[in-house]
Amino acid sequence: MQNRPAIVAVGRTKFGEHYGKQPEKLIEEAWLAASRDCGLERKDLEACYISDCFLPITNKLGLEEGFLSELTQLHSPMEVTRSVSAALLTACHAIKAGAYKTVLVGGIEKMTDRWDKIRDDLMLLEDPWSYYTGGTPEANHELMLRAYIKKYGIAGENLVKLNIALAQVAVKNHANATKNSYAQYQRRITVEQVLNARKNARKSLGLYDFAPISDGASALIITNEEEAKKLTDKPIYVLGAGSATDYLNFPAREDLTHFISTKVAMENALKMSKVSPTDIQLLELNDQSTVMEMVSLEDMGFCEQGTAWRSIYDSCQNYKGYYEVNDRKLFTNLNGGLKADGNPLGATGGAQLFELFKQLRGEAGERQAVTDKPLRYGCSSEFEGFGTKGYVCILGRD
Amino acid sequence: MSSEPIERRVSFLGDRLKASRCQICGKEYFEIRDYCSNCGRKSYMKMDAVDLFYDKGKLEMCTLINEPTNKFTKLERFVYGIVSFHDGKIRVPARLTDRIIKENENVDFAALEGREVLPRFRRRYSVNKSDVVPTISLAFTLADEYYPHQEYKIIQPTKEYDMPGVVGYGVYTSRFRIEESGIHRSVPFTDEDAVTAAVEAGKLALIHSAVDSVQVGKVYVGSESNPYAVKPVASKVAQVLRLGEEDGDIQGVDAVDTEFACKAATSMFKDAAALVNYPKSGIKYAMVIGADNSQAAPRGCPGGELDLFVGYGGAALIFGKQDVIAEIEGWYSCTSDTPDFWRRDGEPFPMHGGRFTGDPAYFKHVRKAATKLMTKLNLKAGDLNYFVAHQPNPTFPVKVAKELGFKDEQYACSLQVNKFGNTYSGCSPVGLAAVLDVAKPEERILMVSYGSGAGSDAYVLRTTSQLLDKRQRQKMNIKYQNESSFLEYVDYTTYRRLKLGM
Repeated sequence: MQNRPAIVAVGRTKFGEHYGKQPEKLIEEAWLAASRDCGLERKDLEACYISDCFLPITNKLGLEEGFLSELTQLHSPMEVTRSVSAALLTACHAIKAGAYKTVLVGGIEKMTDRWDKIRDDLMLLEDPWSYYTGGTPEANHELMLRAYIKKYGIAGENLVKLNIALAQVAVKNHANATKNSYAQYQRRITVEQVLNARKNARKSLGLYDFAPISDGASALIITNEEEAKKLTDKPIYVLGAGSATDYLNFPAREDLTHFISTKVAMENALKMSKVSPTDIQLLELNDQSTVMEMVSLEDMGFCEQGTAWRSIYDSCQNYKGYYEVNDRKLFTNLNGGLKADGNPLGATGGAQLFELFKQLRGEAGERQAVTDKPLRYGCSSEFEGFGTKGYVCILGRD
Repeated sequence: MSSEPIERRVSFLGDRLKASRCQICGKEYFEIRDYCSNCGRKSYMKMDAVDLFYDKGKLEMCTLINEPTNKFTKLERFVYGIVSFHDGKIRVPARLTDRIIKENENVDFAALEGREVLPRFRRRYSVNKSDVVPTISLAFTLADEYYPHQEYKIIQPTKEYDMPGVVGYGVYTSRFRIEESGIHRSVPFTDEDAVTAAVEAGKLALIHSAVDSVQVGKVYVGSESNPYAVKPVASKVAQVLRLGEEDGDIQGVDAVDTEFACKAATSMFKDAAALVNYPKSGIKYAMVIGADNSQAAPRGCPGGELDLFVGYGGAALIFGKQDVIAEIEGWYSCTSDTPDFWRRDGEPFPMHGGRFTGDPAYFKHVRKAATKLMTKLNLKAGDLNYFVAHQPNPTFPVKVAKELGFKDEQYACSLQVNKFGNTYSGCSPVGLAAVLDVAKPEERILMVSYGSGAGSDAYVLRTTSQLLDKRQRQKMNIKYQNESSFLEYVDYTTYRRLKLGM
């Protein structure tokens, strides 16, 4: 395919708290890292697709496009979306249509600037009716877990295992993040810590089950195949990208135990990429909570419904760096996931794709997945809201 | 900063829990929809309006919120979850209200899940003092606890009376109580206020009277603790209870607030009666509500003496000429400009004239109104079965009753200040309701209210046989609200915090 979109370079900042930095400094840092990699200059960019979830609210900006063009010093077309996956999807459409050859896909979020109000912001954005009723960003995850336990009749010893499996998701992600210098938390945690946090919270999920509030930026440079080959000898192609929506209001959804948006997005992405799911060994899941990582494994078809917790539990009894599902190895959230890498909403997806890019090129350093057969495909899932919009991207190399 | 149009839209749907149902496929939505997303264009204008206000829901699953978002911090901790209606056809987010969860308390979610719950009209969350007060009925209480589920069934009236009178009534007091020196007083939950009490009382009166809310042509709400200096409680009552003919998003009802300290509501009994009796008014029923989250400064501060007696709650009475349970035989009102108790605009708590609230104020007016009316109707104390007086404290009503020649058995059952505290505008109507709860047909009741500032309204009511027919319709009667095993007692600090509200 002539206009096959390819990622030629990636960049990101460390996620965490960037107290002294303006938001535009963060995206600049990410862009500079990416542009240095492929030797492009600002003037080479034909358009920008920037994602930020609520920068205008949290940082009281004007129109984001104008705000961000100040930093690019370009009067180029710019689209603003709420997630990097959405920006990437739009950028790929433009590349495929032949409208542009070289574009920037970036993500930026500065959440700690509004530290004391951020949870209200998040909830109001996620679902006003839940917010009006007293919902918090954590509550729906807990309710989903309770619905899951009920639906699949998990009790007794199995329930204990499920709870430990979820704790292991966080433990595993933290362990992965120790090898990621960009990660927000580069320290290990233990299953006991996760369980104690739940006990202190007096409910099924605790502090260590949730991704943090973060600042950060990420950038990807996307070109068509022809340009890509000029810029790098190892382009990573966007083979499939799908998205789908669901009700804003979680209680109103048909299925309270799964994300239909992810299921549909995955189907579409697979159809588009013509990749068999069995060839995918590398996953970047949107673990806003440990429950989300578990459920996503099922929604994306890697585990049977109601069984992911068992696969996670068994894999983590003697963790070898991957989840083992039906004799297949799934390298999941090698960057530490949202839990430990950080979750600056608008930039998060960029960090996931950053990881896939590095892994597929074999440039992930000590994080590099050690696979039996060469790593060829990687897959990421991303959400806007609590599963309200689901995105799946499938990346691959030649 | 708040947005009035957003407030209007959210409360319009959320106060009454308005929903729609597709006539073709039966799918239901928690919102007003013109068409069904299943059936598409062919369902256009084929959506039935349903509301869930009187329905029972089921708590599907729940969790604890102990680190709420900023607007909910005054609730500290609460149970949050998903409630379904109509066998799961509609699911909504839900907050369980009327529960105080202690800091280290473990909530047994499994014990709550699957239980039946009732939507309750409450304040939504905290806002700035200058903002519109947001409300919602996505707050729920368990159906098998303090507040029972009662069907609102409209029953066509069978009998027309010559004289107008009371056709139904309801009293609402909260689940929480404080007890000090033998006096029990009702305490609002954090999300309750005078408006929510007025709505609850009106709702219970509609259930008791079985009157179609469409036929209520006027509503008066008397209160001295309206959260607004300007904006009626009555407009909220009219919208939530759907009083009058509904046309689009407007109710065909006259709604007005009245204010005269504790007699703001009783003053309007005669106006309501006169209105339904006036042939050209076209109004069959009029509702009068007295409701207060009675205000008092903390103890030790000026005006803090009131803190020993203030309660929370309200009473609603529906007046009409059909299926009357108590006819109004006569009335007398008197007024003098006596500043015995007042609250200046912008002040949170009232002041009062200390010992001058007794003789030159309360006793003078109550005595005057009672004797004048008894003379007018040629009645002696012995001709009356019951005497109800305003009850600012436990001693005043007893003293005035004795002075007027009433015996213990004539006034004892009306004394509710020991059980609920002084509910200000709701006070003497609550006393009247307590009497109506136990009276027999063909009995005479003398009620005398008192409002500081000052004045009294005296009424003589005569009960009819229909009083007994309607009695069994009301589970939330005075006795129940006094004796329910679900009442929860709080200490003084908690009481002050709850009373302060959101």
